[in-house]
Amino acid sequence: MPPSLLMNSIVNTIQVGSLYALMALGITLTFSVMKLPNFAHAEYITVGAYAALIVSQSGDIHPMMILTAACAVGALTALASHQMVFKPLEKQKASFYTLLLASFAFGLIVRYILYIIADQFSLFETRIRIPLEIVYRSQTIILTNIFMWAVPTSVLLVILLTLLLNYTPLGREMRALANNISLARVIGIAVEQVKRNTWLLVGGLAGVAGALWGLSTSVSPLTGWVAILSVFAAAILGGLSSFPGTILGAYVVAFSENTVMQFLNFYLDVDFGLKPAIPFMMIILVLLIRPQGFTNFFSWNRDFQR
Amino acid sequence: MNRKMIFVCLIAVMATVFGMSAQAQDDTETYILGVAQPFTGSLGTFGEDFARGIELAAMQMNGELEAAGSIVRFEIASADTEQTPEGAARAVQTIVQTTGAQVIVGPLTTSEVLGAKQFADENGVVLVAPASSGTAASIPNDSIFRVIQAPDVFSSKAYSRLAHDRGHENMVVLHIDDPFGNGMAEEFAANYQAAGGGEVAMFSYAPDAADLSSEAAAVSAEIASLGGNTGFFCICFLGDGQRLLQAAQVDPILSAVGWMGAENMANDQLLEDPGHAQVLAAAQFVSVSFADTSTPLTPLFIADFTEVFGDPPGPFTSNAFDAANIAMLTMLAVGNDGNAVKSMLPFVASHYIGTSVQAFLDENGDQAIAIFGIRQVKADGAAFEQIGEYNGSSDTLVYSN
Repeated sequence: MPPSLLMNSIVNTIQVGSLYALMALGITLTFSVMKLPNFAHAEYITVGAYAALIVSQSGDIHPMMILTAACAVGALTALASHQMVFKPLEKQKASFYTLLLASFAFGLIVRYILYIIADQFSLFETRIRIPLEIVYRSQTIILTNIFMWAVPTSVLLVILLTLLLNYTPLGREMRALANNISLARVIGIAVEQVKRNTWLLVGGLAGVAGALWGLSTSVSPLTGWVAILSVFAAAILGGLSSFPGTILGAYVVAFSENTVMQFLNFYLDVDFGLKPAIPFMMIILVLLIRPQGFTNFFSWNRDFQR
Repeated sequence: MNRKMIFVCLIAVMATVFGMSAQAQDDTETYILGVAQPFTGSLGTFGEDFARGIELAAMQMNGELEAAGSIVRFEIASADTEQTPEGAARAVQTIVQTTGAQVIVGPLTTSEVLGAKQFADENGVVLVAPASSGTAASIPNDSIFRVIQAPDVFSSKAYSRLAHDRGHENMVVLHIDDPFGNGMAEEFAANYQAAGGGEVAMFSYAPDAADLSSEAAAVSAEIASLGGNTGFFCICFLGDGQRLLQAAQVDPILSAVGWMGAENMANDQLLEDPGHAQVLAAAQFVSVSFADTSTPLTPLFIADFTEVFGDPPGPFTSNAFDAANIAMLTMLAVGNDGNAVKSMLPFVASHYIGTSVQAFLDENGDQAIAIFGIRQVKADGAAFEQIGEYNGSSDTLVYSN
């Protein structure tokens, strides 16, 4: 394989893996704290991407402003899903499956609202208006400004989230909810407030991830949905409970989709058309061989593990 | 007059009014024209515009029928194909089972058409597909009629001619992994090599791919390895084209070779990003678009559509308008009977002058008149311009200058 092809696939792995990590951490957080595998997460990502797109079209806007807008809109959408759907269902003591279906339903509603908006304002497959620039070029590697935005932002947010969970009162309260919600209530934790903050955090992260994803590709009402399978694969690799496991899972999925796929295509002539099968295969293999994923690989940060 | 009398009179008046209304209803014969289009998905805009074109055709037809004193009226029943083969099958089944429609305008893409084919064939339902062109749906004696858009067997010849005219010694093809993409890629490779072309390296990508950077890198490496004047042919939809251009923009090889693209990519939206426009201009991006021609009906259709819906029709909407007219004219001749429509439709179609081109069907029920415009991105990347015309029937390509 030519070195440039190999290096390109590794650069893609780092960029895509960082974004998958940002998206997958939200899923792990929701599952740990709320006990909900939230499929509407895809729509928080899409809503964030659309917020970024619309803000970027309003003039010469700094990327940081675009990311902030995406974060805010993603957070509000997630909070709305909690207030309008999940909280009322929890009050009715809805089962796990009901909540799962409700997350699908909420996601579908948001997606079709986005379709209507996109149709009305011709916002299908539109790029966020930040010009692509090369910031580093060598014989084998090309790095763009999008890479320089996506990777450090994702890594920084992942670090901040880890710090928040491990070293702040909110993080401790979230971990308490994850471990035993009844006990958390007994010891005086404002459970509802912690849940609201968790939703804001989850939606904000997804919104930023959507904006960064939209920067590197284009934005459509399916932006989050087409990525969500890979993101769930990453979260499942992390055992849906471990943050480091989820991050590692995200990079493993991205590595498989980019570098491994490139190898398979180059040496075995395997079609790129099979790329979407990779996360499916990984999910099945993990569930069959090691359902806990990478959970026990990390002795630290185990408070979400049950 | 006492209350009882008033009540009796009221009943009598109501009975008369409703009786007349029922009589009027009995005098009208309603044919349901099904519309199966993708109202959601990345082609949702096309689907909605197509549905408006069909609605306009039905409105005009009903107006003429009323003026002529005919009792026949057309009503439209629509369903969303969701841009998937399964969705198309569901949409056609729903329309047929809930309304009794026997003739459906749609679906849009070849994948959707093939998805709905089995149900249509088994139930004697006729599908009049306005924009499908994939070679996989060129099947004799089935219920699918592609009355306006010529099949890709012609356009792939045009692309082969263009590749040779541009001096491409080898070609690298990236195509969507669906019946449209696979069929077009295979036809192109066969034509290109039959005409003395060199190697054709093919890469496919999954529909709804989130990211095409790996595919772009592989294409770039292949072009570098083939060397010489190798051309690139991209058979993909608009969104995929944008994702590909995003990667091509920073790739020194992909941004320096000649590009050809499927007609979905000959879209001004692709030129909105200055970086993308620059790549396409440098690559002298060229596309083969069906029926970039007009008939005396073209301006009338555009004016009527704009008056009714407030906006001009989108790309290929005239195909849907024409397909609906052919379907309705056939139903007027033989009634709402799928098998009779299937038998009669080729005759009606072949006597129909459309808004862009005349219809004339081959043995597969496909449009046999294949006139294509050759469109290239201008040197400044600002717009597409027509640089020639390809006639599929005579296999001749004539450049404007």
